[in-house]
Amino acid sequence: MAVFDLILGLLLVVLVWKSLSVSDLFGAVISFMAFGLLMAVAWVRLEAPDIALAEAAIGSGLTGALLFSTLGRLPHSEARQPVVSRTVRNGPGYWMTTGFWWVLAILLSIAFLFSLLDLQTPGLGGLLQERLPESGVLNPVTAVLLNFRSLDTVMEIAVLLLAVVVAWSMGTVVWPVKRTLPSPLLPGFVRLLTPFFLLVSFSLLWRGSHAPGGAFPSGAVLAAAGILLLLAGKTTRICPRFMFWLRWILAVGLLVFVFAGVSLMVAGYGFLVYPEQWAGALILLIEVSAGVSIGAMLMALYIGGEPDIHSA
Amino acid sequence: MTTLYFILVGVLMGNIAVGLIRILRGPTAADRMLAAELFGTVTVAIILLLAIVMEKPVYYDVALVFALLSALAVVAFVTRGWPNPEPGEQDDGRR
Repeated sequence: MAVFDLILGLLLVVLVWKSLSVSDLFGAVISFMAFGLLMAVAWVRLEAPDIALAEAAIGSGLTGALLFSTLGRLPHSEARQPVVSRTVRNGPGYWMTTGFWWVLAILLSIAFLFSLLDLQTPGLGGLLQERLPESGVLNPVTAVLLNFRSLDTVMEIAVLLLAVVVAWSMGTVVWPVKRTLPSPLLPGFVRLLTPFFLLVSFSLLWRGSHAPGGAFPSGAVLAAAGILLLLAGKTTRICPRFMFWLRWILAVGLLVFVFAGVSLMVAGYGFLVYPEQWAGALILLIEVSAGVSIGAMLMALYIGGEPDIHSA
Repeated sequence: MTTLYFILVGVLMGNIAVGLIRILRGPTAADRMLAAELFGTVTVAIILLLAIVMEKPVYYDVALVFALLSALAVVAFVTRGWPNPEPGEQDDGRR
């Protein structure tokens, strides 16, 4: 198994190096996607199934689709060009910048090694297992994300919502309508696959309370289903009423989370301090709303701007 | 039985190493994309084998999500990343 890990690590380093140094953008995107795939295997080897799920859903799938669509929007000549032109590469500024980052990277690695030396060996895992029955769920990762450190998760969802708000404020995008498709195979393929995406998304959401899964991977799979429909040209007409509901769906995760926190505070428990008998139900409620919101937000980020109602 | 699985994982890693050559050298965009898809398939197989070897059925889920999401990448590639070929010029897209 050590040989396997060694080869895996080596391949990862090669792919990272290639995705940073390769001269054309398409090669960089492909290397990055392959890196995401192997990184998930690395997380499996490190026995971190939650991170492996997130990496599988976001790292290789959604990011790959996002980067390909970005490449497709660039003019053909621009995507062909080397990322760093040759004249820049030979100038003194380039060497100073790369030298600076190399020195910084080496210093950070040394600092990291030193911090490894005085790592507290038991960590917080034992404490977490001890307190797990109080959390209302059986999966330790969900317990940390939605109970013990739920404030961090509120902030994460808020940051995602903020990103969507910023993307929408940049301007409107033309809502993709039906257009000529490269293959007649595509609509049928998507029609076959979408139910599976929805099924997996909801099963991940439900499993989150007792096994790896939860709102983030589930939302990512949901967003992937939406993007797939969009790419296959299966879109509906949008109208002001649709936009009204879309805004509510985008915000519902954060609203439910904050509302739950504030009402607990009013009831005298403190912000997001769950009473033990309600913890399971509250976590389920928050997780479902957050999962739907995260799916909508990731898809909105993929579209990259406020959909223009007048374009449809 | 475990020995067999280890050998299979080794063979699959060899597949990835060979596929890496195609990813890095191309020559066309479609070659690279197909190699990336091969990576996806091989990764699913490796994760399934590791799930059996490590006796962690949880990883079946990871493999499932992988298998679904690799479809998304290839659809994005054919609809957006691949330059629509002119009639008569079927192959050789962007390098």
